[in-house]
Amino acid sequence: MTQVQAQHTQIDWEAGLVVRASGGDARAFERIYREHSGRVYGLCLRMTRDPQIAEDCTQETFINAWKALARFETRSSLGTWLHRIAVNACLAKRRKGAREEPLPDDEDGGGADWTLETPVEVREIEAAIDALPDGARDALVLHALYGYSHDEAAQMLGLAEGTCKAQLHRARRLLRDRLGMGVGTA
Amino acid sequence: MKIKSLGELPQDIAPTRDLWPQIAAQIAPSAHPTRLAVTKMTPAAARTARLRWFAAAAALACLAIGMWIDRSLLPLRTTNEGAALSVSTATPSAPASLDVAYVSDPRYQRQRAALLKTLQAQLNTLPPVTRTKVLASLATIGKAKKDLEDALGKDPGNALLQELLVNTYQDEMRVLTDVHSASNAGEGI
Repeated sequence: MTQVQAQHTQIDWEAGLVVRASGGDARAFERIYREHSGRVYGLCLRMTRDPQIAEDCTQETFINAWKALARFETRSSLGTWLHRIAVNACLAKRRKGAREEPLPDDEDGGGADWTLETPVEVREIEAAIDALPDGARDALVLHALYGYSHDEAAQMLGLAEGTCKAQLHRARRLLRDRLGMGVGTA
Repeated sequence: MKIKSLGELPQDIAPTRDLWPQIAAQIAPSAHPTRLAVTKMTPAAARTARLRWFAAAAALACLAIGMWIDRSLLPLRTTNEGAALSVSTATPSAPASLDVAYVSDPRYQRQRAALLKTLQAQLNTLPPVTRTKVLASLATIGKAKKDLEDALGKDPGNALLQELLVNTYQDEMRVLTDVHSASNAGEGI
C-alpha cells in the first residue's frame, strides 16, 4: 500500500539524526556535534590561528546550524554544510580587521594535491601555513587541506573563483619561500 | 612526524575543552529550529512553505473524512454476517523508521502488531457495509501517511508534518482498536 519503509531505508543514520534534531531533539544534535566538532574546529583553528577564537567560532557554527537545521537538505553533505557555516563564522569574526590587498583574478591555483619536494615536519608546515596572510591561508586550507574544489572554496569564502585561485597561487609562493622548497601539485 | 603533502595534515583537531555544554545552553527550547525557520524565510522559501501547508492541510482533510466515515459506522454493527474480504490493500503499513517517539515506542509497536494480526478475522465478523467502510478508512489513513512521509522526506524538519504524522498513526490505532472492540462485543452478544 505504501512505500514508506523502502523510502526510509534510503536515509542514512546521519539524516535520521538531522530529522530528529530539527524536530527539537538536542541529544540527536549532540551526536552530530560529537561527530563533526573536530573537523569544524580544525577548520576554524586554521582560519583564525587562535584556539580561543576557533572555539568561539565552533560554538557559533553549531548554534547557527541548530537554528538553520530546518533548511538543511538531507541529500547534501552535512559536513560541507557545517563547514560553510564555520567559514562564515570565521570571516565574520575577522571582519573588523584590516582588508587584504586585492589580487588579480584568473591565476591558476593548481590541483588539489599539494606535494612537497621533501618530507617536512608537521609542526613546521603548520607554522608556515599559520604565517600566511588571511586570504591566502583561507583558500589554501579549504582547497589543499580539506579538499574543496576551487569553485566550492570560492563560494564558501564569497570570492570569485579567479580570486580564489590567485590566493592559492600566492599561498604556494609564500610557502615555497618559507619552507625553502617547491610546493607542487600532483 | 614528517609529511609529503598538505593533504596529509589532520583535518580533525579536538578542541581543548568540551564545547557542548555551552552550545546546549544556547539551544535551549526557546531557540527551537523549526520556529526560527518560519521567522527567517526568504520569499522562495515562504512560497514552498505555503505549498507544504497546503499539502498538509489536504492530507489532514483526507484523514478527517476517513475518521468521520469510520466513527459514524462502527457503532452500527449488529450481526456477524459477511464473507472473508481481503485487507491486503488496506492493511496499514509498518511504522516508518522516522524516530518519532510515539511511533517507536515498543508498547505501541506490540499493540499495533497484535491488532493487525487479528484484523482480517475481526473484519470478517463485521457487516459487509461496515467492513467496506472500515477498509476505506484504513486506506485513507494509509494514503495520508504516505503523503505525510513523502512531504517529510522533502522537508524533514517540518514540525507540523511530524505532528500530523503522529496524529495519523494515533488515528490508525484508534480505528484498529475500534474494530477490535466491535468484534469482541459482537462475540459476546
